[in-house]
Amino acid sequence: MSNIAGKSYAMNVISPIRSYTAWLNKFFFWISSKFPSTLKGLITLSIIHYAHWTIVGKNQFPRLHPDQPRETVKYAYMMFFSNFNGSWDQYVDSFTFAIPGGLDMFWKWNIRFPKSVPLTPFHKYIRYNQLETIHYYNATPLAASNDIKSAKAVSNALLDFQQHLSDTSDADFMKRYNALLRGLQHDLGDMYPTPIVSMAAYHVQRRQHGAADKRNKAPHIDEATTTSHGVYDYVE
Amino acid sequence: MSSNVSGNAYALTILSPIKNSYTHEEIAYADVVRECLQGWNMEKNSPMALVPNTYLCRYFVLDDVVNQSLPGAGALDTLSDLLPLVPDWLRRRALPAQDRLQSRYLVFASTFHGDLDTYLRGMWEAIGARIKEVWKYCYGFEQVDSADTFIAYMKRCQLQSALFFVGSNDDALDSQLKALYLKQEFAKFAIDNQGRDATTIRQHMQAFLQRVDPTNLTAPTWPAGKYRLTDEAAS
Repeated sequence: MSNIAGKSYAMNVISPIRSYTAWLNKFFFWISSKFPSTLKGLITLSIIHYAHWTIVGKNQFPRLHPDQPRETVKYAYMMFFSNFNGSWDQYVDSFTFAIPGGLDMFWKWNIRFPKSVPLTPFHKYIRYNQLETIHYYNATPLAASNDIKSAKAVSNALLDFQQHLSDTSDADFMKRYNALLRGLQHDLGDMYPTPIVSMAAYHVQRRQHGAADKRNKAPHIDEATTTSHGVYDYVE
Repeated sequence: MSSNVSGNAYALTILSPIKNSYTHEEIAYADVVRECLQGWNMEKNSPMALVPNTYLCRYFVLDDVVNQSLPGAGALDTLSDLLPLVPDWLRRRALPAQDRLQSRYLVFASTFHGDLDTYLRGMWEAIGARIKEVWKYCYGFEQVDSADTFIAYMKRCQLQSALFFVGSNDDALDSQLKALYLKQEFAKFAIDNQGRDATTIRQHMQAFLQRVDPTNLTAPTWPAGKYRLTDEAAS
């Protein structure tokens, strides 16, 4: 199990919804996709990399072979996949405190959805309906969503700066250089691996340092050695 | 009303039914798939690091749907509180129905840059053998033997997204990785050159820009899936 890959957490939530209200949910989603201003609240949650919702109707489960038994479920199911930075609690709580109305709108028709306020029943609902990821890959495990956005600003600024590098005096250069730093002061900052351990950490430790375990020596953690799956990489 | 695309980013959701069969050791195929994916966690980096333009992706096995049993606040629930006046059949009607899936499903959800066909073709060409390791236990996969048949198979397994939210950006992955490399290097440069005179900073800046080569997306840059800050490649 590995819900964590570097700075990102993978959340999967599946919840039943009555077929005759599933279309209403789809309609709300369609409105949101056509009018992005309705997602303003989500945008303020800058910890999200990407998230998507899928609704599979009771007759829409893929059936690829005559030998495969037909599904006989009574409900449609909504699936939610999110990639975010930070802890589970931080993420779920931020929804409750930042966009409870929007959240309730998306989950309103899901069976037994308790609403996002108060917090404890909402926590229980998400925990109960969450499915664990087995393998999670992140192309940028060292970076938070805000790092990726700020990196684009740095890259664009450097490209612009480079175009006028050779045709200025030292004084003009410093003026532009200081302006460059001022303009990027919110975007600069080192990225480091986050010390988050996944369930796989124990096994990685055993695989890589079986000999160390036999000698009953406790391995130590090297700097900057989180694997792409969010586990520590131990060194002797 | 599908919404798989947002700008240049694509949200893919795949549900591949796993065969209801067992190995000679009487291990369910779904558990073999799970074990195989667990094994990927133990590798130096994910096989998905080789698949072009994958931002983030996940695999898990859907054993069954989640049934709801908590008390609700609907009209029928309220009536059922008036026990013992409410008959049993009405009380049962107040509870959600219990669903059971007939098959277990391999779920693959990926967010990537570009269009679906190009992505799936790149996936097959990069890690075709690793894909077979996992998907060979699924119904219908026996007909997959090329990029084209893989694309067709995946489209049969695809669920349409109802809403796709991009909170990061939808640039090509090599652009994102180059930008992260530049951010990290320029932050160091700014710290190292604090307090120096203009002539020195100017010289250093020229050398820096020559070294980091901002317009070259291929090198120097971060590799996909990089999890160390040392120069050693992670992938």
